[in-house]
Amino acid sequence: MQQIAKIKQDKTVKPRLIWACLCVALLVSAIYVTVSYRLTADITVRSELKAMAHITSLFSNELSQVNDASEVDTLLNEVLLSAVNTPAFITVTTAQQQWQKNLLLTPTERSSLLQLIPGTEDNADPIELNGKTYLWQRHQTGHYVITFVQQTPALDITLSFVAKRLLVTSIIVFWIAVWLALTLASLIAKRAEQVNESLAYIATHDSLTGLPNRLYLIELLENSLGPATEDTDTPVDEGCLLIIDLDRFKEVNDSFGYAAGDTLLKEVARRVSELINAPAELIRTGGDEFFIWAPGYTIEKAKTLSLEIVNSCNSPILINGLTVNSGASIGISHYPSQAENTAGLIVCADTAMHKAKAMRSGWQVYDDKKIADYKDILQLRAELSDALEQQQIILYYQPKVDLASGEVIGAEALCRWQHPRLGLLGPAEFIDLIEHSGKVQEFGRYIIATAAVQASQWHTEGLLVPIAINLSPYNLLDPGLAAFIGETLKRHRLPPQFIEMELTENETCINIDYIQSALAQLRELGVSLAIDDFGTGMSSLAYLSELRVNVLKIDRTFICDLTTNKGHRAIIAAAITLSQSFGCDMVAEGVETQEQARMLYDMGCRAAQGFLFARPMPAQEFHALLKQQKPQFSVT
Amino acid sequence: MALTSNLNLLDRSLRGVIGICVTAFALFNGDLIGDVFIEVLLGIFGLLNLISLASGWCPVYHLAGINTRKH
Repeated sequence: MQQIAKIKQDKTVKPRLIWACLCVALLVSAIYVTVSYRLTADITVRSELKAMAHITSLFSNELSQVNDASEVDTLLNEVLLSAVNTPAFITVTTAQQQWQKNLLLTPTERSSLLQLIPGTEDNADPIELNGKTYLWQRHQTGHYVITFVQQTPALDITLSFVAKRLLVTSIIVFWIAVWLALTLASLIAKRAEQVNESLAYIATHDSLTGLPNRLYLIELLENSLGPATEDTDTPVDEGCLLIIDLDRFKEVNDSFGYAAGDTLLKEVARRVSELINAPAELIRTGGDEFFIWAPGYTIEKAKTLSLEIVNSCNSPILINGLTVNSGASIGISHYPSQAENTAGLIVCADTAMHKAKAMRSGWQVYDDKKIADYKDILQLRAELSDALEQQQIILYYQPKVDLASGEVIGAEALCRWQHPRLGLLGPAEFIDLIEHSGKVQEFGRYIIATAAVQASQWHTEGLLVPIAINLSPYNLLDPGLAAFIGETLKRHRLPPQFIEMELTENETCINIDYIQSALAQLRELGVSLAIDDFGTGMSSLAYLSELRVNVLKIDRTFICDLTTNKGHRAIIAAAITLSQSFGCDMVAEGVETQEQARMLYDMGCRAAQGFLFARPMPAQEFHALLKQQKPQFSVT
Repeated sequence: MALTSNLNLLDRSLRGVIGICVTAFALFNGDLIGDVFIEVLLGIFGLLNLISLASGWCPVYHLAGINTRKH
């Protein structure tokens, strides 16, 4: 994008072209003057020579009629005096005799000139002697050889004759050439500038909607954010970045074809463009994603704008005679309160947009205060790889308790980031980063390895507590996951039943076939499987029978108001029946009161975890808890 | 094309001086040039400069997109 700016700013083309053209003009004038001078001089010399040839031939005619040698002398005199008025001489030679006639020339000049005349018949070249120019003719008739030499003033006359005209005309020619040069240079420079501008336009604009593109957005933001420097020419005090993502673009594309999708995009672009006013700008970065950079907007103003856009996108668009409404999800981030640089601002808005999409709320302002306080999510993301290397991600353990005996029967491993700068971070603050960082599989394996080390340590001490690990859906897409787990178990000589994998219901349905085969591999290893947050996901009950899990963990939302909410009680009862019919265990999550525990027990639930028993704790504390005399908790 | 002025004061007055001198020379040079054609050429040259003086507009600048007035 910087190159584009540079092409635009290159102003040296025009002056350079003008200089070049001026030089050409000067050259043209010089050539014109030289050629016309030489032309005139040549023509003059030629006509003089012609006159001399005429005289010589006349003279030779006369000579042929002369019989007496003495008459030659008289004839010479006559000819020379009548025809010539400049310094000249004529020599007539025969085998026996020589006649000479001289006019205004010294004998030395004459003899030098005679020497200079070559013996050839070519007489076109003038002879230079003492700064004067001489023309000559040599003619042979009978036994007479006539040599006629004459000093010519032709070139001087020419010079004085043409000099004035040439001066004036060359000035005019130069003047015309200069104007021509200027015009040409400017036209060429103008054309080049137009080409550059259109190139820059093409590079920074989307061809479908004519809106600026991502390149333009980045350059715009780089220019607008931060303190004023040479590069940032329009810094702003505050502003909002909105990301608009159409909810049903893909469906329109799939069901009506790409042409319809294009129509939809154009229409949305047109509608949204109408809603925003300069200096706010609408940018399309590709697919169905639009950005609005609204300098000077407060969050309140951005919310109002978002509402208008959402309403506008929800009103139907006519495509192929059918009305479609695209729907839109908008994420808003605010500069400088939420992020202070381009990348941060985009990440915040993107996060908010995804939240809006997930919540189907239309629009969301980026509001994760804690992360916002970190000023730079990107930094956190960059620190992730260090975190894995330096083992800053540690596991906390929350006990699962047998409701009948009060004994600890298992542990759920929960990750925490022991951040050197920010202290202990819960998973909510960094799991999202990991899932979008491309490190998710590495992270999953790290967690599994850490948990396996802990489990085997306890196992060797005789503390037989299985550890449950939460798996991200992306981990299940790791083709080497089962092999890795098998190897880890073997290395630590840990029986597989001491590791349990917890999957949320959502992830179990992203790609049921693939997930099923991944889970089958895990089952083959002997690792037990649990469905986490049961009852809140979107999956159908049909999956449940196919997945054949070992444990159902009923979600905390049903537990928290168990005592008052009849509906939730019914769901729990149903889940318990379901688990019994499938032959799997049932764990209640988020048990906080004694009353809830008793009620669950009465309904047939055998295991529970929650703050009633213990919060998640570091490994040492959990170890101490396991070492206590059993039962660790009194339930009834 | 619109005759919007595109010459600044210096440019305009320089053209004026040149225009007056050249036109005067073309008309009153006596026998110095001795060629009608060249006198006519000079006359046109001077006249164009005089037009620039009067209107503050230069056709060549206009075509080339140069404007000395702004700067």
